[in-house]
Amino acid sequence: MKRVRDSLSKKLTTMNLLVSAAALLLASAAFFAYDVITFRANLRTSTGIQAEIIGENAISPILFNDPASAEKTLATLDASPRIIYAGIYTSKGEFFAGYWRAHEPHVPHPLPSTALHQEQTSNFEKGQFALTQTIVFQGQPVGVVYILSDLKALTNRLKTYTIILIVILSVSLLAAFSVSGIAQRTVADPILQLADTALFVSREKDFGVRVPETGDRDEVAMLIHAFNEMLQELQKRDLELQEREQQFRTLADSIPQLAWMAQPNGDLFWYNHRWYEYTGTTPEQMRGWGWQSVHDPEKLPEVLRQWRAALAAGQRFEMVFPLRGADGTYREFLTLAMPVRDASGQVVRWFGTNTDITEQRRSEEALRRTEKLAATGRLAASIAHEINNPLEAVMNLVYLARKQPANLERYLQLAEHELERIAQITKNTLGFYRDSASSVQADISALLQEVVRLYERKLQFKKITLRPEYRTDMVIVGYPGELRQIFANIIANAIEALPEGGDLCIRVSRSYSWSGTPREGIRVTVMDNGPGIPPVNRRRIFEPFFTTKKDTGTGLGLWLTLNLVEKHQGHLRLRSSVQPGRSWTAISVFLPAQPAGL
Amino acid sequence: MNYETVSVPLPFLGTPKWQPSFASNEDCEQDPNKQSKRLHILVIDDEFLIAETVVEILRGEGFDAQAVDTGDSAIEVARRTPPDVVLSDVIMPGMTGIEIGIKIREMVPHCRVILFSGQAATVDLVNKARQQGHRFEILAKPIRPEALIEVVRKGSGIF
Repeated sequence: MKRVRDSLSKKLTTMNLLVSAAALLLASAAFFAYDVITFRANLRTSTGIQAEIIGENAISPILFNDPASAEKTLATLDASPRIIYAGIYTSKGEFFAGYWRAHEPHVPHPLPSTALHQEQTSNFEKGQFALTQTIVFQGQPVGVVYILSDLKALTNRLKTYTIILIVILSVSLLAAFSVSGIAQRTVADPILQLADTALFVSREKDFGVRVPETGDRDEVAMLIHAFNEMLQELQKRDLELQEREQQFRTLADSIPQLAWMAQPNGDLFWYNHRWYEYTGTTPEQMRGWGWQSVHDPEKLPEVLRQWRAALAAGQRFEMVFPLRGADGTYREFLTLAMPVRDASGQVVRWFGTNTDITEQRRSEEALRRTEKLAATGRLAASIAHEINNPLEAVMNLVYLARKQPANLERYLQLAEHELERIAQITKNTLGFYRDSASSVQADISALLQEVVRLYERKLQFKKITLRPEYRTDMVIVGYPGELRQIFANIIANAIEALPEGGDLCIRVSRSYSWSGTPREGIRVTVMDNGPGIPPVNRRRIFEPFFTTKKDTGTGLGLWLTLNLVEKHQGHLRLRSSVQPGRSWTAISVFLPAQPAGL
Repeated sequence: MNYETVSVPLPFLGTPKWQPSFASNEDCEQDPNKQSKRLHILVIDDEFLIAETVVEILRGEGFDAQAVDTGDSAIEVARRTPPDVVLSDVIMPGMTGIEIGIKIREMVPHCRVILFSGQAATVDLVNKARQQGHRFEILAKPIRPEALIEVVRKGSGIF
């Protein structure tokens, strides 16, 4: 800050002094030159006049060869102390009479060679001025006057001038210096104050300070006024920003989720209260990558891998993992993180939340169990119906046999047939519900045939043509009861959707998984040419409690099916068309499998 | 339910002895013991064995019974010979027993409709029909033939 002040005021002073000195020197030099020229011209004129007067007076002495008289005339030069020597020479250049200033040796000076040929010569040389003037009488040159003068007067004049100049220069420089002080007060000081304030604001981020206004109406005052207005605007925005920040913090602290923010490099720099409350940690422990301490050490490497991948790609992060609470127990959290980008699309930070889904998981599990129970109940009801009909027939036949002994044989035969039917049903359905506790190898074709047999009567009622294609030598490792339930649900849905005389196609083929890492397995496709599923329902059809059959459906069948498929590391795909006349629905299930005999 | 007063005593007065074989309608009409119009009962079940044995049992009790296995043929028969009692299965391909009951009631308003079903879900269907103003008697399969005869005679079905 000091540097700026020094530089600006020094610059101002130096400039002031330089300008003053230069102006003075320039003016002085001009004066000097003018004075020297004028002085020389005056000297030449006055010396010329003196030479002419002496020449006039020397005519008769020369003509009458009276040097004494000429010397008397020359002696009048005594009045001019600058004249060192004066001499009168004949027209042939011979010395005639002379004048010497006091203390000068009485030696005649030689006449300059040009003097005899020119009317007047003058020459400044070696601090002296020499002038020759031809003496003319009746048009004829009769002699020459030679005057030698010193230039002491000029030198003295110049000396005086120099002294005056030095004095004026000093005084004016002093004046300039003090003027620059005033300039500094009125111009430099406000600007320096402006600079100080700007620096303070940018360092301290305190927008409350103001630069004192000078009260002038010059550009500096305008600058200061504009700067203050800018500060006021900044202060307003800063307050708004603080308010918004406060709102955000309040919101972030009031949600039940754990929330946090991270730098683009993944350093977490902020957590909401809920985070600290749940984990029982401190901000110091959590700084940077400190969050790892609340993770399950077994799951952490995978969390880190996925988090780093999301950071590198700048893409949404979504993962479920456990977090340790303050009480030391782990709970499951669904974690979502989104990159926040600036106007240029650069990631400037990440915003993330962790939602406790432990309860949700628990209730989903409970729902799954309930649905299993309900499915069992429904199955029991349908089994009852299957058995009640032949039972009714048997009862009637037994009654008739008793009443009409004549037809006994025939009634008993019919009754026997009906009893066989009952036996067949119980055998199938009991096999159906004998679920094993552990997974076993299952032959998918045999399993599907068993399931289809259960719906045989329904197929017959609706005159549905079944087109089975069970071409596979693969075996599935899984829970047969659950596998049966998967296909029973899908096939029952297809049958319900089908109109009378429709086609039901069940195809089993070797396949590779169509999502995730490729795995070998089988694909079971159940296709019907029913009315199809409208696109609006296609996505929701796997949601729990979503049903289009309000009277008979619970809306849990396909949801449970999807759950069971996923439990077997498989996946499910639904395709459908509602094009009139050519509508259909196909559900494909992929299940990991291996060739039989391995 | 005025038909109870006219129809119930007749079978009692009628055949004291059992009429063997799957008797035809003609056989019944030629019954020498017939004194007045016998109760005409229409039995509908998609399992034809059930319909036929029930008809056999009812005829043995002196009723004029006839078996059909679809709703369409039931309507057809009812149009030709209006039944006094309809005894129908509920869940069947095509028309349900309830739909058949409603249609026949439109033609024969005083016809008694007894539904018999092996499925629990039937109760819901019957309740729904009741909300729409159609009252049917309902029996659960399997029903002992003696009980069935009793219901047909006395009209003591479950409402």
